[in-house]
Amino acid sequence: MAEGITLENVVKTYGSGETKVHALRGVDMNVAKGEVVGLIGPSGSGKSTLLKCLGAVIEPTSGKMTIGDQCIYDNRWKVRDLRALRRDMIGFIFQAPYLIPFLDVTDNVALLPMLAGKPNAAARKEARDLLDALDVAHRAAAVPSQLSGGEQQRVAIARALINRPPVILADEPTAPLDGQRALAVVGLLNDMARQFDTAIIIVTHDEKIIPTFKRLYNIRDGQTVEETPGHHAPAASVGT
Amino acid sequence: MISLAGRDILHGWGKFVLTGVGLGLLIGVTLSMAGVYRGMVDDAQALLDNSRADLWVVQKDTLGPYAEPSSLTEDSERPIQAMRGVAQAAGVTYLTMQIAHGDMDVRVMVVGAEMGEPGLPGQPTHLISGRQIVRAHYEAVADVKTGFAIGDRVKVRRNFYTIVGLTSRMVSSGGDPMLFLSLKDAQAAQFQKDSDAIVRQRARTAANPQLNPPGNPAVTQAVNAVQSGNTNVNAVLVTITPDANPDDVAAAIRRWQRLTVYTRTEMEEILVQKLIANSAKQIAMFLVILSIVSAAIVAFIIYTMTIGKIREIAVLKLIGTRNRTISWMILQQALGLGLIGFIVGKIAASMWAPFFPKYVLLLSSDSIRGFVAVMLICTLASFLAIQAAIKVDPAEAIGG
Repeated sequence: MAEGITLENVVKTYGSGETKVHALRGVDMNVAKGEVVGLIGPSGSGKSTLLKCLGAVIEPTSGKMTIGDQCIYDNRWKVRDLRALRRDMIGFIFQAPYLIPFLDVTDNVALLPMLAGKPNAAARKEARDLLDALDVAHRAAAVPSQLSGGEQQRVAIARALINRPPVILADEPTAPLDGQRALAVVGLLNDMARQFDTAIIIVTHDEKIIPTFKRLYNIRDGQTVEETPGHHAPAASVGT
Repeated sequence: MISLAGRDILHGWGKFVLTGVGLGLLIGVTLSMAGVYRGMVDDAQALLDNSRADLWVVQKDTLGPYAEPSSLTEDSERPIQAMRGVAQAAGVTYLTMQIAHGDMDVRVMVVGAEMGEPGLPGQPTHLISGRQIVRAHYEAVADVKTGFAIGDRVKVRRNFYTIVGLTSRMVSSGGDPMLFLSLKDAQAAQFQKDSDAIVRQRARTAANPQLNPPGNPAVTQAVNAVQSGNTNVNAVLVTITPDANPDDVAAAIRRWQRLTVYTRTEMEEILVQKLIANSAKQIAMFLVILSIVSAAIVAFIIYTMTIGKIREIAVLKLIGTRNRTISWMILQQALGLGLIGFIVGKIAASMWAPFFPKYVLLLSSDSIRGFVAVMLICTLASFLAIQAAIKVDPAEAIGG
């Protein structure tokens, strides 16, 4: 399978001298296009730092990151416009959907292409098609406060997919959902990953969904270990 | 491109409009303050326009008759009348006083004008009902702002006067409505002493051997007659012939009559730059304070609105929205708030202006200046919120 995202020996150190903290101590990771992998780890293990580095929100201290065949970081950023990188190449799904409360469902999804300069009508059509694929097209005119938690999360997934990014980072996307709905969301993400040929990394501590991953990365003390989903040690305390 | 600001406003339009209305009332007060100043200037100019004079001849070395007391003998007008370039000259008296009207006291400026010949300067203009004063005594013309009606009898000092005509916009520089009497009646009201004062004055004269020489009672009689006379005026109003230059005629009167003369331009300067200067400064201070308060309120509202959307802003930034787009959204909201505020303020100021006791003049030019100022203030006020939004770290959307 073609590479979606690859990390090689990514290091992130906060502070200096006596206050120096090694958040990531040489993370290696690779997720293929169309694949969904889980990222687990106890609180303070470096999950959030890794997610921020992957999302081009904070700069790693060293290492190499590649999306598709484009090297985005090699001991320094290789792209000038990180904002455009996030907009065009990375989709985000958060623990809470964080939809824009003053936009209806269609515009929440269509916002990204609109901001990128796509005509409103074309962006909205694309959004409606995606909402249809995610089975929430019937709520296209509603505002987020009128949706259920599951519907909001589906809209958030549609928003992450609208620009067809090669990578999607999902931060605890099933945390607010009950077991059945959580599994449904993961199933949906798997479908979407295949349908849109997207690499999806799901950060989670949700024991219910962990067995659904074909591949799982466990991060401990700033280093990742690839595990078999059925044999991971449950985290004592969790967080992102 | 989608308008984020517009959609946000529409989403919470009730809150936004209410905030705009609150701001609008403050802007209305600011516009009214400017209107009060304009009204004062307009009152001053109306006073000069309505007097129909080209020149004001007053007591030497005074700023009379409006800014300082001035007293001239009534017959000063005769030699002035005879001078080259003078078309008409008429004595006039001004006296501000309280007049009882029913259960209320009305503050008026009593104007004594020569009524002998129609069209003399100082006579009431802008008659909206009734007629001019035609009898020598006990008739009056009042400005409609006094609340008097035709046929009302009002008491000025010791005498009653019947209102025979009503005028509009005949006010003093302080905005008090005018009450016109014949010159003789007004002189009596202004200068005539009461009986007790006359008795005391005569006793003092009788006790003074210089004024009451033994064997010559005619001297005392003459002194008493002079003391009980009231032939002074506060100013002589002069109109000039069409071919005359006001500065030249004023210079001639100064030289030959040894009196102080003001042209229209000079009198405007006295009224605007001297008489109402302090009030104008007071109002200017209010305007500055109100502008600062408005700016602070807009800044606070926009800042609070922005802080309330920090998480959304972080998400917008994380998914690739430019700072420019977010800044424009905040600026548009600030300008929208300013626009609603200005419209509400303008309507409010126009609605409550007639209820002010003094004339409030809302000029279109002031409204345009006010609109520009409001938009500038809103732009400046939004900078604080924009700074806060720019500082939002997209990582806040991820948490951790």
